[in-house]
Amino acid sequence: MNLSDHSCNQITPLFTRRDILKNFSCGFGWLAFAAIANKAAATTTPAGAIENPLAPKKPHFAARAKRVIFLTMRGGPSHVDTFDYKPQLIADTGKPGKRPGTQLLGSKWKFTQNGRSGLWISEAFPNVAKHADELCLVRSMQTDLPSHPQAFLKMHTGSFQFVRPSLGAWTLYGLGTENQNLPGFITLTPPSGFGGAQNYGSAFLPAIYQAQRIGQEGRPVAGAEVKNLDTSLSTQAQRNELALVQSLNQEKLVRDGVNPEVEGVIQSYELAFKMQSQMPQVMDISKESPATQKLYGIGDPATEDFGRKCLLARRCVEAGVRFVEITHGNWDQHFNLTNALAANAKAVDGPIAGLLTDLRLRGLLKDTLVVWAGEFGRTPHAQGGDGRDHNNKAFTVWDGGRRREGRLELRHHGRVRLRGGGKQSADQ
Amino acid sequence: MKTYQISPIFALLLAAGPAMAALDEGKKADVAQAEAIPQDQLDFFEKKIRPVLTDKCYKCHSEKAEKLKGGLMVDSREGIRRGGDSGPAVVPGNLKDSLLIEAIHYGNKDTAMPPQKAGGKLPADVIQDFEKWVQMGAPDPRNGGPVTVAAAKKYDTEKSKDWWAFKAPKKTEVPAVQDAAWARADIDRFLLAGLEAKGLKPVADADKLTLIRRVYFDLVGVPPSLDEIRAFEQDKSPNAFATVVDRLLNSPQFGERWGRHWLDVARYAESSGKEANFAYPHAWRYRDYVIAAFNADKPYDEFLREQIAGDLLPAKTERERAEHEVATGYLAIGAKSQNENNPRQYALDVADEQIDAISQGVLGMTIACARCHDHKFDPIPQREYYAMAGIFLSTDTRYGTASGQQNRHATQLIELPASSGLPTITKILAPAERAQKEKQLADLEKERNEMISERMEARREGKPANGVDVKKGVRLLILLTQTGMLESELNSFDASGRPKILAMGAKDRPAMSSASAGGGGRFGGMFAGGGKGGRFYGSVTAFPTITDSPLYARGDVDKPGDKVPRGFVSILSNGNAPAIPEGTSGRLELAEWLTAPTNPLTSRVMVNRVWHWLFGKGIVESTDNFGTTGHLPSDQALLDHLALDFQKKGYSVKKIIREIVLSHAYQLSSNFNPKDFAADPENTLVWRMSKRRLDAECIRDAMLSVSGDLQYSAPVGDAVAMAGDGMINGPRGRGMSEAQLNVDTPVRSVYLPDARDAVPESLALFDFAENSLVTGDRETTNVPSQALFMLNSKFVEKRAERLGERVVAGYPSGPNGGLGANLQERITYAYWLVFSRPPDNAERTAATAFFTRFPANWAKGQSGAAGVRDADAARAAWTSFCRALFASAEFRYVN
Repeated sequence: MNLSDHSCNQITPLFTRRDILKNFSCGFGWLAFAAIANKAAATTTPAGAIENPLAPKKPHFAARAKRVIFLTMRGGPSHVDTFDYKPQLIADTGKPGKRPGTQLLGSKWKFTQNGRSGLWISEAFPNVAKHADELCLVRSMQTDLPSHPQAFLKMHTGSFQFVRPSLGAWTLYGLGTENQNLPGFITLTPPSGFGGAQNYGSAFLPAIYQAQRIGQEGRPVAGAEVKNLDTSLSTQAQRNELALVQSLNQEKLVRDGVNPEVEGVIQSYELAFKMQSQMPQVMDISKESPATQKLYGIGDPATEDFGRKCLLARRCVEAGVRFVEITHGNWDQHFNLTNALAANAKAVDGPIAGLLTDLRLRGLLKDTLVVWAGEFGRTPHAQGGDGRDHNNKAFTVWDGGRRREGRLELRHHGRVRLRGGGKQSADQ
Repeated sequence: MKTYQISPIFALLLAAGPAMAALDEGKKADVAQAEAIPQDQLDFFEKKIRPVLTDKCYKCHSEKAEKLKGGLMVDSREGIRRGGDSGPAVVPGNLKDSLLIEAIHYGNKDTAMPPQKAGGKLPADVIQDFEKWVQMGAPDPRNGGPVTVAAAKKYDTEKSKDWWAFKAPKKTEVPAVQDAAWARADIDRFLLAGLEAKGLKPVADADKLTLIRRVYFDLVGVPPSLDEIRAFEQDKSPNAFATVVDRLLNSPQFGERWGRHWLDVARYAESSGKEANFAYPHAWRYRDYVIAAFNADKPYDEFLREQIAGDLLPAKTERERAEHEVATGYLAIGAKSQNENNPRQYALDVADEQIDAISQGVLGMTIACARCHDHKFDPIPQREYYAMAGIFLSTDTRYGTASGQQNRHATQLIELPASSGLPTITKILAPAERAQKEKQLADLEKERNEMISERMEARREGKPANGVDVKKGVRLLILLTQTGMLESELNSFDASGRPKILAMGAKDRPAMSSASAGGGGRFGGMFAGGGKGGRFYGSVTAFPTITDSPLYARGDVDKPGDKVPRGFVSILSNGNAPAIPEGTSGRLELAEWLTAPTNPLTSRVMVNRVWHWLFGKGIVESTDNFGTTGHLPSDQALLDHLALDFQKKGYSVKKIIREIVLSHAYQLSSNFNPKDFAADPENTLVWRMSKRRLDAECIRDAMLSVSGDLQYSAPVGDAVAMAGDGMINGPRGRGMSEAQLNVDTPVRSVYLPDARDAVPESLALFDFAENSLVTGDRETTNVPSQALFMLNSKFVEKRAERLGERVVAGYPSGPNGGLGANLQERITYAYWLVFSRPPDNAERTAATAFFTRFPANWAKGQSGAAGVRDADAARAAWTSFCRALFASAEFRYVN
């Protein structure tokens, strides 16, 4: 399996532009690219080289981020209890809410100012708060509908009405990926509902841009695996089999004279063979030091699962995966807010802080975009005695990675209300 | 997330056509209107307002505008008050709703006006003047202005009207060719003339082995058996190939192959997809209808009529009536947002999906692009989109699904009489079980109804919502889901326990409103009473009766404009669209309009699809888009010839396939030829047959077929049908699991579960159709996940193992014959089975070498290697060898 045996000079000028495009939307170019580029040469394709759809592409504008870790908080985390400080709401607790018959409910969590920037963050996130100067809070988010499935899908594809490619698929389409032996877009434990595969699908883009899904929400990531990676054969026996496959393919290539698609098949086997060994390596966290594992909260049952996901996310981006999404649910606290939100926050706070620390130590934080987001926020008024309803009119997301130091962003219409209800009272 | 807004600049960059010149006349009447306005207000307008409008706005927002922006004209009272695409610019007396006021405040950078190049934000005192003016009632002496929104955006279609596809197919003389002996059919003469014009010649013919493999995959989707190959090889008559073709066209496997093609176009799937994915357990009836229609060679025009308006067609027998109803499943199987809580949005989305499926599928037009604005490229005004939308808003689309959590839009299904003789799945609900479930339902209903009454009461009494126990809300949600599921189940069986014959489909809505109209499920009405903001109201139909659709500005369901009479797209009507009788949806007329011989697209689009499915590339490459953004035909004379021929031959799909397959062009080899390639690298002129990757179904079915496992008999229903209503792979284990959806029964692939976002792995990996969208042209990708599937999946392993057994059994060697026994015969046999040809010498050498090396390496991988018997190693070697054959490129491609 020598990469250099398959450099692009095998391609004769007899290939049509169409064949080449077709071919390269089919994967052959992965290898052609691998032979002529290395990870570091991420932004250029040598003149005359043939474009591979997954090859790193130079963006139209200089980018400060090279990779994305998307921390999806499914269920709509309460912004007013986490990252959106509402002093007036706390003062007004018990007063009537905008929705008839409701009462305002101030956060039960204390907020403190953190870092040099003095960002207000609730005590539910004590560890993330230590990274305040690396965060950029966006407290002016809103979305169309206060219903999980639609808002969740909209967050991922921009539309719940139409079938559209997901965020990661677009990213991969636009930027390619840096390790051609691994998927360029990986999603860990996404929910099967709420839009399901569409949340990481490629819709009308070629299937090559969809995510490799690993695991499913509700099941520990520790037991999750990539399909069809395990062979029942010994490595040597499988090599024999693969050699036979490739000799058949070479035979066909000779017979056909010119057939880029057969080249594509040949390359897909070489890649598959590499993925077979590389993917389990990336998924294997046992070689991480105990200190690193501890940093992510692995070992503590409360943080173990999300810690593993965060660590896997780091291993993936470090290995050159362009876009990694990890999902944590369920943040849908209609009731039992006090305990459930505390448990959720505990499950993710330490691991996220660990992830940010680890990325920084490895010099990856400066160009990794870490996004923390749910599909919407929650109402300032209470639901029941100890819960909050959906609120699509206001919520908070943040991105880490020193894009802007400790900054508070009020984008869009910039309407921030002290009580946290958004532009209109949210009654859904 | 940031709400995506279409910027006004983006919206409509359409020239204000000459049609608006007449508006000048209006100005003369200004004086008359002015008399009604107090003099001081009139002075205020003339001094403070009009000059600013003229100076700052008219350039882009008047009848004189070179490019009208945002559909907004502010040069008349009518225009400024009606507003543009975003809504009224000025609402007299109402600052908040006057978009013009918002715009001049520069609050929102997307809508801020005037633009920088016109001087930017107005001075504060001018802004105050405008506010004052709006508050005093926006007195405005300027008469005239646009009569309707549509008139304001009159589309200049003259240019795109000339597009070839909007003109009727032309009959062309079959061209004369130099090499007259080469041509066997008119198709050949058209193609050869094209080649000869460039001084090119077609390559040699395909050999018999290549040809029979090609035509088997193309017509029935499985490879030929060895007997069939032998028979064809031995048949030296000139009709040998025609004999094979006719046999295949008449085999039941033909419909399974070609029906599947149509199912791609019909975006067939067995669930609602989108954000909450609910099963369609009765969709398979439509699947079977399509397969049967292709097998019976149902004329294509009739096929379309039945799918669009089958319920409105006369029928001779009950069976035929039932089949007509099933055919309308075409309208019901689309993807839907079952959790949408705005009934109007939902209804319009369903209609939009139907328009999209029909317009792309049947007409190769993207009519749905005109939902929010006039089509940007094709001459389809937004108005005509809503003319068609009215047809579907007047249609009661019945797709079933069980109501409950995340499903606000369950509907009834269509129940067909047992006497129709349609099959049912083998599932029963025994009377005892029924009684038990009815009891269970009654109990749950009681609890649910009490809970609802309690809520209603609390609401009536204005009790604070905080007082309502949220846990009870969750309980109610569970109850609604459970009762919905039970109801659906009980409704699916008759009293004796047999499944009812239920189908998805469409019916006309009633002409007049009645209490029972609309609303699916027994409880729709109850929750409808909950009103806006009520979370659990059942299926409320926003359009309960036959109706015309309003034109929704920018497609926004909260901005209805004037109603548009139901009708069709005029560019395709040739001035004689059928009239829609009062009190009917218009689907029958739609079917008539689509299948009229004068419709320039329907026949062309279908023959082009057939061509695409046989040659791998359409004469028009963009099979679903014949509009101005689509491809030009590579040979319009040929396309038109085929389209007219199709009509002349009674829309027989089999005849057109037969004609193409028996042409000389189809029987060419796929060999390379440098001269032809240099002149026509993309094989547009068909100087050879293109090499093609097999569809996912062919790859899977071929593996099953050669391993001897393929079950040819058609099953009734499938796993989704057996599972009944519920979610597909829902959260917290709701509904069918991924594992259930991937259970591999050895039926043909067309009968596997086809739920949205949950297509079985064996099909999804090899570029199965995106089943939420019309797919006339599947992708072909080569990705490592396919390679991993071939190397490591249980499915392929099982097929390889079975093929190995078959091959070994084909040349038995007695109990003591080791791996070496009959090795060459067996290798040859395997090659014949898998590739329909013998191995060449190099391949034989490679195979022999494999059998030499593999067993020892295999044994090393086994624990307790010493005790491993040779027979096990031989078995493993055969499995591995056969898997390698399946995994090879040759197995996936046809020459």
